[in-house]
Amino acid sequence: MPTPVRLLQTAADRRRPGARAIGGYVAALALVALATAAARALEPVLDGGNLAMVFQVAVLVSAVGFGLGPALLAALAAAVVYNFAFLSPRYSFEIGHPADLLTFSMFFAVALATGWLAGRVRDNARVSARQADTVGALLEASRTLSAAATPDQAAQALAAQATAAAGAITIVLLPAEDGLRIAGGPTGLEKLSPDGAAAARRVWESGETSDAETGWTFRALQGLRERVGVVGLRGLAPDAEGRVSALLEQGAVALERAQLASAAAENEALRRADQLRSALLNSISHDFRTPLSSVLGSATTLLEFGTDLKPAVRRDLLESIAEDARRLNRYVGELLDMGRLEAGALRPRRSWTDAREVLNAAVERLGERLGRRKIVRDFARDLSKVRTDPVLLEQALLNILDNAAAYAPEGSRIEIAAHEDLANVLITIEDEGPGIPADALDRVFDKFRRLQAPSDRGEGLGLGLSIARGFIEAMGGRIAVASPVADGRGSRFLIALPKAVPTAKELL
Amino acid sequence: MSAHRPRVLVVDDEPQIHRFLGPALDAAGYEVVRADDGAAGLRELARKAPDAVVLDLGLPDMDGKEALAKARAFYDGPILILSARDRETEKIDALDLGADDYVEKPFGIGELLARLRVALRHRVQREGVSPVVRAGDLEIDLVGRRVVRAGQVVRLSPKEYDLLARLVEGGGKVTTHRQLLTAVWGPAHVEDVAYLRVFVGQLRQKLEADPAAPRRILTEPGVGYRFVSE
Repeated sequence: MPTPVRLLQTAADRRRPGARAIGGYVAALALVALATAAARALEPVLDGGNLAMVFQVAVLVSAVGFGLGPALLAALAAAVVYNFAFLSPRYSFEIGHPADLLTFSMFFAVALATGWLAGRVRDNARVSARQADTVGALLEASRTLSAAATPDQAAQALAAQATAAAGAITIVLLPAEDGLRIAGGPTGLEKLSPDGAAAARRVWESGETSDAETGWTFRALQGLRERVGVVGLRGLAPDAEGRVSALLEQGAVALERAQLASAAAENEALRRADQLRSALLNSISHDFRTPLSSVLGSATTLLEFGTDLKPAVRRDLLESIAEDARRLNRYVGELLDMGRLEAGALRPRRSWTDAREVLNAAVERLGERLGRRKIVRDFARDLSKVRTDPVLLEQALLNILDNAAAYAPEGSRIEIAAHEDLANVLITIEDEGPGIPADALDRVFDKFRRLQAPSDRGEGLGLGLSIARGFIEAMGGRIAVASPVADGRGSRFLIALPKAVPTAKELL
Repeated sequence: MSAHRPRVLVVDDEPQIHRFLGPALDAAGYEVVRADDGAAGLRELARKAPDAVVLDLGLPDMDGKEALAKARAFYDGPILILSARDRETEKIDALDLGADDYVEKPFGIGELLARLRVALRHRVQREGVSPVVRAGDLEIDLVGRRVVRAGQVVRLSPKEYDLLARLVEGGGKVTTHRQLLTAVWGPAHVEDVAYLRVFVGQLRQKLEADPAAPRRILTEPGVGYRFVSE
């Protein structure tokens, strides 16, 4: 971090301005002495007017090097020495020749003018440089502060920046459940003394700056909307005040922004949870009510008219009840799975698993939902085992197969394949359904997303694929979908499960 | 009724609903016409002229309200709505649009058949006007504007009478807040449900054996009121 170093240096410069100024005057006099010696040495070859130029050089150098004050001193000293040592009568302050009086006056005027101008230029340059320094430091601080994503990061950044800028130990206190806590400051400083904490607390409540009684000067950090925290400074130099104030103002705003951002993130999380809940309720109300209506309607019809109904009709109503009870059971399962995923309570129980066996088991469980659709298998003869949870994998595969069966027409083929590359076992499930529009591809795994009504209506909550992805990812695998596959139709789901090398012990 | 089996048109997109509603209505003595969406429903309605319609509001091809409005343009018979409990406004809108009554899903077949019977009977009553309605010890003379309870004339204010008459004309079907307020207080007061609460309370005081547990004027929460004569 180059900036704090630069800030420290500038702060050190500014802490001893008196010493520096005196040095300048001394140096100016030394330059004049040097010029005197040089003029003496050059006297045999130069005439009086040109000797004066040697002194002008000393004045100019003083001006550029040390500013206006030393330059004026140099001009005065040079004039005195020039008069004393080089204008006749020599070694007297008298001026014998009227022409020499003119020479002396002009010399002094030129020395003054040069010194004044050059000194001004230098001082201006110094002021500009210092301003640029301050602005640069503030910009840098602002960059660091605004990069902070959380209030704590902002507090730490502010403490570091303020420590560098002020040369004082700086801590940043943020409101916590029970008063204030130190969120940023030098490491090792975990707690304030009871007096210090009480002083900080008063500042937090009143917004006024405390005195330095406890060793700390506490100041409120005032954001744009409200007070965001308290800063404590120890050993602040009086002249660092302005710079630190600007920095603290900036820090307060950055802290406020970070606090608002983290509040917004929290709200966003709540909003999403809320959205899920309402989607869930919506789904329960809509998707559960139809099978429930059918169960209740069929059952009451049997109760009411049982003996009047033809045996075939009675049987059909009973079958309808059984079907819808199964359907409801599947929905409840989906909701539970989703709930487990959402709650992060999913703990895969991994064991060495043959993906082909799990695929076959999933097809088996699909049962009559497959209808007259044909399963085509393309399995590698030798397939590495993967360390995964076979129950979760089966449910994920079943959900994908279920999706294929819901959308693909009767009589079409569903191809299931299991192969491997160097790192993964790859499972693909490909159907000949209508496919998925390109703009919807990245949404198929979203919750409650049904792109269109399945061909066998009323099936599914729109959770199946979302659950499949949740399970696969919980096991460290990846899932993707491609569509269309051929002739503008069909979709292909690809699942990659990372291979791990089993130890001999694990295989036994 | 054995010579003429009343014909009922069932408009629903769920095959599972038709699966039990068909046999149940058949066993209850109705002739069933099935339609799987709104367009087919309207077509069958025009072609078969059913005696009553059972209409699911959640249709895939058109809004239930739209189907209802189109049906009402040329069909005057009773229309029974199938709706979900959480679709409160949908249900009320449908009633205001001229549906006769509603049944909430999921429902038992007995409830649906009872509502259907009431709706059909009400049509018969309206055709052969019955000016005096009896309900237990109550006797309401809709022509003479007189209410007698257990032989005693009950004194009702004009608004109370209007409200009661309107409820009784419902013949056991639900009458919505909006319908009652418009008929008794005028279209400017359709939002003033509080009026109804007050006047229904007064009517119950005068007509019910136990006003706290009413058996004649029943509340359909959020929807309206129903006058029950049996």
